[in-house]
This record gives sequence, C-alpha cells and structure tokens, in this order.
Amino acid sequence: MSTGDNDDVGFKHRRQSLMNCPPSQMNTNHLSDKVDGSMNSISKAPDPFFGSGWDPIVSLSQSEGLGGSSMVSHTEFANSHYPLLMEDQGISGTSHFSQIQSNPSFVELVPKLSDFGSGNLSEMVGPFSLPQCSQIANSRCPPNYALNPKVGNERASTNCTQSLGEHQISEERAVGTPPNGKSRKRALESNSQLRSYQNADEEPRKDPSREGCDVPKEQDGKKQKSEQNAGANSRGKQVAKQAKDSSQTGEAHKENYVHVRARRGQATNSHSLAERVRREKISERMRLLQELVPGCSKITGKAVMLDEIINYVQSLQQQVEFLSMKLATVNPELNLDLERILSEEILHSRGESAAAVLGFRPGINSSHSFSPGIFQGTMSGIPSTNPQFSPLPQTVLDNELQNLFQMGFYSSSAMDSLGPNAGRLKSEL
Amino acid sequence: MSPMNNPQDLNPSSLKSRFTTRFLRALTKINGQKPISSSSPREMFQRYRRIKVAADKSMAWSVRSRRTWSRAMLWKLRSRYSCRQASSSRRSSVRTSTIIKSRQAKTSHEKENKNTTTGQDEVGFVVQADKLRKLVPGGEAMDLCNLLGETAHYIKCLTTQVQVMRKIAHFYSL
Repeated sequence: MSTGDNDDVGFKHRRQSLMNCPPSQMNTNHLSDKVDGSMNSISKAPDPFFGSGWDPIVSLSQSEGLGGSSMVSHTEFANSHYPLLMEDQGISGTSHFSQIQSNPSFVELVPKLSDFGSGNLSEMVGPFSLPQCSQIANSRCPPNYALNPKVGNERASTNCTQSLGEHQISEERAVGTPPNGKSRKRALESNSQLRSYQNADEEPRKDPSREGCDVPKEQDGKKQKSEQNAGANSRGKQVAKQAKDSSQTGEAHKENYVHVRARRGQATNSHSLAERVRREKISERMRLLQELVPGCSKITGKAVMLDEIINYVQSLQQQVEFLSMKLATVNPELNLDLERILSEEILHSRGESAAAVLGFRPGINSSHSFSPGIFQGTMSGIPSTNPQFSPLPQTVLDNELQNLFQMGFYSSSAMDSLGPNAGRLKSEL
Repeated sequence: MSPMNNPQDLNPSSLKSRFTTRFLRALTKINGQKPISSSSPREMFQRYRRIKVAADKSMAWSVRSRRTWSRAMLWKLRSRYSCRQASSSRRSSVRTSTIIKSRQAKTSHEKENKNTTTGQDEVGFVVQADKLRKLVPGGEAMDLCNLLGETAHYIKCLTTQVQVMRKIAHFYSL
C-alpha cells in the first residue's frame, strides 16, 4: 500500500504496524502520514530522529517497533496478523508498508502520542470505546513502558495500573504480536534506550537492553545474546502465554501476550516477569476491593485485607438473608401500583430515605410487635379467606420475629453504621 | 457511596433499576401465590426461601452472563429448580447433587492445576483465598486474580441488593 513511503520513516511505520496489527489489516498510509506530521520536526533521518529530544514514549515505541520487528522475524506466529513483520530487520524495511493497517481511531491517537509525556493515560484511552481498545492498548504499550522508568512507579501505579486495570486484558489481547510479547521484555533503562537507538540505526532492531544492564556491549553482544535469548525466552514465554491464553479463552476476548518490560535491576527471566505481571494485577485488584469495602483504606497487607473482604462478603450475604426473611414476614399485599411506587421510590429517592432507613433501624425491635398489627390491619382490609388464622400465628410470629429481628438487628445495624460511616468496621465488629 | 448512586439510579438500565424491577416482579408473584394469612412457621420459612432465591436470581439475571459468579449462580439455581421440578424423590436430588459435586470437583481440579502453575508467591493467602472461593459463587474455578475481580463485582451487586431490599422492607413496614 504505502510502498511509496520513504525508508527513513521505516521504523515509525514499523512501530505503527506493530501497534495496529492485532485487529484489522487495514491501516493505511495516512496513519503514517499523521505520524510524520506529528514527528516532522524530528525529521526523517535516523540520526537526527534519535538525536533529538524525543518524547520518551515515542522513543520507546520506536525501540519497541524496532526490536519487535526483529524478534518477529525469527519466531513463529500464533496468529497471522503480521505477515509484514517477518521481513528484514533493517531500518529501511519497506515491505511492511504494504501491510500497514488503517484505523481511524488510531489516527486520532497518533497526535496524542507526542503529548503523552505530560498527558494522562486515562485521558487518552478514555474516549475510545472497547472495540478500539486494541489499538489503544497497543498505542498505550509504549506510553506505559515509558512511564515506568521515567516517572518511577508512582505514575505507573496511579495512572497506568488503574486505567490499565480494565485495559490490561485488552492490552494482552490486542497487542497481539505473540512472539513480540516475549521480545518486549527488556530492561527498561532510558539511557541505554537512547544509546541503543543511536547504535541501532546500523543494526537490526534487537531489543536494546534485553539483559538489562549491558549498555556498552549492546551492539554485537546484544545481537547474539538477544537472539539466543529471544529463542529461549520466547519459547518459554510463549508456552506460558499460551497457557494463559488457553486458560482465558473462556472470556469473550482473545488474549494475546502480555507485554512486560523488566524494570531496571530486576530479573528478566520470563517466569519472574510473568510473576510480576500477576502480582501487579492482583495488587491492583486488591486496591479496587479496598475502595469497595468500607473501612479498609488504612489496611495494608494482603492477608488482613482478604480477611476484611471475606467478612464483608459474609455480612452482606447475611444481610440479604435477613432482609429476605423480613420481607417474607412483613409483606402485605403488593399490587402493581405499589410496585411502581416502590420502584420509583427506591430508585429515585435514595438519598433522603437513607436517613429514614437508618432512623428506622433502631426502632426495629419495637416494630416486630407492630408488624403483626399490620397483618391485622391488612386482614381486615382485604377479604381474607381465613380470618380466624390471624390471632393464632401472632404469638408464633412474635417469637420468631423477635428472634429474627434481634439477630438481624445487631448485624444489620452494624452494617448500617458501616455503610455510611467508613472506617468504623473494626469498632463495630 | 450513597450520594454517588443517585445519578446512576435514574439510568433505566443501571444494575439497581434492573434488579429492582425484577425483584419486585418476583415478589409480587410470590405474594400472589400464597396469601399472607397462612403464616405458619414452615410456610414462612418456605416463603423466606423463595424470596431469597428470587433475590439471588434477580440479581444474577440483572448481570446476565457477563460475570462468572452470575453464571455460576444461575446454573446452580437452574439445576436446583430442575431438580425440584423433576420429582421430589430423593433420586433426582441425589442425581443433581452428584452432578453438582462432579462439576465442583472438576472445577476444583482445574483450580488446582492453575494453582500449581501460578501460585508460588501467594502461599500465605491460600486459606483466605479458599474462604473467598466458597463465598463467591463459582469461585472454585478461578485463579486469584480473576477471583478478586469477581469479588469486587459481587460486592457491588450485593450492596445494591441489600439497599433495594432494605428499602422495600422499610416501605412495607411503614
């Protein structure tokens, strides 16, 4: 398609193609044109391209694209979305241009890439709907990686992981260069990245610092080592990822490989990287749960947190049981009008009835004797078939209701005060 | 949490409204089946059970099959219902319970497989994770990561359920 494009933007296109590959095959030039447009200042020659004060995102994405394509060339593909990428690994690879895919949403994304350094990840992915999140996730991969080394983990944890939460699955799914997934485990050193860029224009795009620390011997040693490691790691990671894929095929999405980048000073073993990804996912979910469960903001530590979560779920289930028992006993006739009124009240007047409900709660012990009165009232109201039954069950009802309500009162009052007053979980329980 | 729910409630397709309409409908049906006057303890208990099942079912239906826990709950309810429908004999219940047990055994087997491959760094949480698995429907078959996600959604749905039921009970008690 875009065979007419110039070679010097080869890596840019490679990056785009990498990022756009998963879902469709329809990327066109104007994507690359946009990239050109946004990066025109950087010029089209490799050296000034690298030498400029480049946005870390874009530079990393470059490295990704460069490294990725090289990795792609000598590993087999799980899916055949990247026929282009097995071509040469030189900068001047133009063959992949033919496969550049178009994505209108990505066109919008591209100009944002350059702003990403100051931008917010969630902003970027916010407006895009799920079907496009594959591209988004792709484009987010480089920003995500950029954030890690540059800003430290705080930004990654706040921006990336939270917005990454729901997108991580899509990222895994969509970044979808299966062998590239393994190839992207590179130790993330910004210095070495830049230096690798400078060296990389002569060389094929091996993963710049795959081993993590070998900045000086990047050129050749990197090449051979990364090739070997690419083979070994790719196999290992591929197996793990395929296991992960197969285990998650139950979901509606198609899971591809997780693009993990080893952080500085950390092991780049495929297993440890996979472990780290898992741990990050789990800690992120724990954070979510921490927000959901009241009174857990101060708790640090997974074990205590899990205990709190278990207690909370148990108490919620008990509350449902208690309320259903209450509804079974306290329930007068319910016709359609009441149903409508009820649904309206429940849905629309949540705020003010909360206080009413809470205020009602302390009186529940006295109300159990009131509810048989309700029965009496409704009995007289409607022509009931067995009026003589009403005095008889009252005593039984009294006892049962009393027991139930007392039992339920304590648990539900605890929960009630828990609900609006976060932080009193310990004192209540 | 409560003030934030208000704008969501007005959305006719929010979880809360879906659950409310379904549950109220079920409640009407249950109340229509038996008059309130028959309030012997046993029948009370039956009504309680029915209402509880209706609450769970309404909640699971409001979530459809989007979540593992809702799917598991619907499956359980359906199998229990079909067990009841088939016959009241012990045979069918035993059959159903064996089906349920075999399914759980299968899922726990899957879980063990997953645990062996993935669980090196969460040794301390296995006990709590197991407890959580028992609490969350369908939790046996999930690894920890998915289990936590399902728990989050389950907690959200449970709180909605509790809110709605409490309001209904409040309304009826007045």
